[in-house]
Amino acid sequence: MTFRNALTLNINGSEHEVFIEPHWTLLDVLRREIGLTGTKENCIEAECGVCTVLLDGKAVCSCILLAMQAAGRSITTIEGLGTPDALDPLQVAFLKHGAVQCGYCIPGMILTAKSFLAEHPGTPTRHEIREAISGTLCRCTGYQKIIDAIADAGAEGAQAAS
Amino acid sequence: MSVEAPAATGNMGEPHPRFDARLKVTGGARYASDMPVDNPAYAYLVTSAIARGRIVSINLGEAQNVPGVLHIMTHENTSKDVKDSKLFSDGGFSGTSIIPLQSDKVWHDGQIVAVVVAETYEAAREAGYRVKIEYEAEQPSATFESNGVQVQAAADVKKTHEDPKVGDFDGAFASAEVKVDATYFTPTQHHNPIELFTTTCAWAGDKLTVYEPSQTMYGMKNGIASQLGIEPEQVRVVSNFVGGAFGSKGSLTPRTALTAIAARRVGRPVKLVATRQQGFTIATYRAETKQRVRLGASRDGKLTALSHEGWEVTSRPDNYMVAGTDATTRMYDVANVQSKVSIVHADRNTPGFMRSPPELPYMFGLESAIDELAYALDIDPIELRRKNDTMKEPIKGLPYTSRSVMQCFDEGAKSFGWSKREPKPGSMRDGDWLVGLGCAMSCYPTQMAPSSARVRLSQNGELRVETASHEIGNGAYTVIGQIAAERLGVPYEKVSVVLGDSDYPAAPVSGGSITTASVCNCVAEACDAIRAELGINDPKGDVLAALKSRGRGAIERYAEWTPKGVPDGALAKLYSGQAMPTGGTKDKERIMFAFGAEFIEVRVHQRTREIRVPRIVGAFAAGRIVNPRTARSQLMGGLIWGVSSALHEATEIDKRAARYVNKDLAEYLVPVNADIDQLEVFMIPEEDHEVNPLGIKGIGELGNVGTNAAVANAVYHATGKRIRDLPIRLETLLA
Repeated sequence: MTFRNALTLNINGSEHEVFIEPHWTLLDVLRREIGLTGTKENCIEAECGVCTVLLDGKAVCSCILLAMQAAGRSITTIEGLGTPDALDPLQVAFLKHGAVQCGYCIPGMILTAKSFLAEHPGTPTRHEIREAISGTLCRCTGYQKIIDAIADAGAEGAQAAS
Repeated sequence: MSVEAPAATGNMGEPHPRFDARLKVTGGARYASDMPVDNPAYAYLVTSAIARGRIVSINLGEAQNVPGVLHIMTHENTSKDVKDSKLFSDGGFSGTSIIPLQSDKVWHDGQIVAVVVAETYEAAREAGYRVKIEYEAEQPSATFESNGVQVQAAADVKKTHEDPKVGDFDGAFASAEVKVDATYFTPTQHHNPIELFTTTCAWAGDKLTVYEPSQTMYGMKNGIASQLGIEPEQVRVVSNFVGGAFGSKGSLTPRTALTAIAARRVGRPVKLVATRQQGFTIATYRAETKQRVRLGASRDGKLTALSHEGWEVTSRPDNYMVAGTDATTRMYDVANVQSKVSIVHADRNTPGFMRSPPELPYMFGLESAIDELAYALDIDPIELRRKNDTMKEPIKGLPYTSRSVMQCFDEGAKSFGWSKREPKPGSMRDGDWLVGLGCAMSCYPTQMAPSSARVRLSQNGELRVETASHEIGNGAYTVIGQIAAERLGVPYEKVSVVLGDSDYPAAPVSGGSITTASVCNCVAEACDAIRAELGINDPKGDVLAALKSRGRGAIERYAEWTPKGVPDGALAKLYSGQAMPTGGTKDKERIMFAFGAEFIEVRVHQRTREIRVPRIVGAFAAGRIVNPRTARSQLMGGLIWGVSSALHEATEIDKRAARYVNKDLAEYLVPVNADIDQLEVFMIPEEDHEVNPLGIKGIGELGNVGTNAAVANAVYHATGKRIRDLPIRLETLLA
């Protein structure tokens, strides 16, 4: 017999009731139980960053976080960022700078950047951005354009705040 | 600083944003393992713990007791299920002839030895850990110099292989005034696309749908049918987006057939997501090479003799090789050339195509040796290349259709500031840092393959293109749509492109940088047929107005395109999954290559020998550039791959056990954002009307050729130490 528990998760502003085994990760629950496949799966060891989601606004690797640990917290996935009519400034910047190739790392890259910019308001330097997103791997290695996009979104955010 | 997408200049299209970018930034792009199927079961692979020997017994007792386990496949119940495993490079579909679960034999480390299917992924994995296997192990051979390897000349094992040769190398080398004789090594590398190797198989009656990230829709469709002993018509393959491939998803791996068999047995769809670690042994990789390069030259820098010999590791049963001497013997004007490629069979999984398969390792050898010669002659390395530049390849004397390599060197050198370089090694410093500047030539053969596509223009102005090509990050959706829009004078925003589905017209494998040059020419033909049907031959004529004035609802044209020089029946072959590429060095009358020049600045710390790369400049000439924005992304990504090849990537092998030891992204190093600083790409306008009607040369693999040599040459310039064994590490520089 396997044991399952009821769990309520707040994902992208909506409550989701799931019935899960206690050892399931947030990544598995998002992809398999909720059907939010924008969050990607890869190393399952927190080495690559593609499974990044925001937990109360902070970037976490959903592959090493048990779903139970996210109870009562606010989870944001790539699907919860912006709306079809008004994309998040980071999404807009990624489009503008052509910072997308195969696209597999992009949800994790954008959410990592979202968390970084929220914690570092103002205009971060390229060096700071580079360091901040170095935990998220891109094998097409679109690094330069990704940094351009984040710098641009950061500058716009700083401008909006002033 | 980086710059915005380059404006369209000579022979370049508009830098339109990517067709699929919005889906990718919103999480809406569905990759193979994102596709929903009804009530799936989950598969987990069990892989071998030895590299050579046989399975004595498999105990499934504990595994079968894990709640939720549905079925376990081993060679004891699956040995007759997979029919065909002809190698891709021999005209088949498979990346390896080693088909697991066929017998008790173990050919390599990490070979699939059981597949567990269960209600959940977690249950399948737990049961996988509880499969108890007893082996009878034999001493394996790991790599070069290991006991028991078998060396064969490429020409002896492959009928079509030629070792390029001209003149009298021995005589010319013996009498050369200045000589270089050096041996170089390139390491084992794994593609490691960020998207894992996944397969989902769903049967509906006798019809099978496969969702798998793939570079070859028709290759998979036909290959899986032949492996399962069913008709290709029974198989549909879907792969709308691929999360990176780099060659690893270009041929069939054994997992697909096994997943299909599992789905048939449990009577419901089965999903397999192989782990990162398993990816190192259940698919292909770039094999390690050893190369000896000998160059002879006159005192004034004219090359007189060139010899390039290469040894490449392969598996026990397969004669896989990349044989990069095909290109390296044709880069310079030299009258006396010889070459030879040998393969070394070891107890390893079969290697395969990885981004610039022949050129990346072999140009490292050639372009390092050219730099060594420049120092021996005391000539600037760019001037040495200029002195030996040629518009005819030396082996058969065939003309290049175009070759703008010196323009690339001149433009690149200007931007890089090459003239400020002090030639003497160790002569440039910045505080504690030794500064080194190096360069190398890049090249990639221009190849094309037969293609087919369907284009429909509707009365509402929408233009739809269908072809079973692949979006692997290359920008295929974008450039294909762009050519259709340009050809029919329809706004780019009105175009939709559908790819990655074997129900669409056949397109060749997306490998060898052939996609843009092949599929775009085909789409242009379909568009021209629509123009002709409407009687609008003036390129500025309004096709939509003509469509409406004739009272037509829509007009659709299917086109098949074959490049010059392909044998008869190539289109039928395309539909049966064979690409039949031509061009490059295959043409009998001319030779087709794209070229580039790459410049690297390294900084080596004088005490710790830490190596940094603050600047990378690449200048490339590759005929018509359809979209400078996506082209720039490809070339930048290539350059970073090149730096990675020089400084980061290597799969380490435990030589005693013939097993890979760094099978994850923590231990297999790839460059992160913090490793890469300034990066500039220039695209030199070039027109070439001979390669194909649109004048396109592929660029997906051009960017990462030669970069490893440029880094090694820069490290020599900084330190005076010539590193001939990649990757270059600080411990080697400290030694």
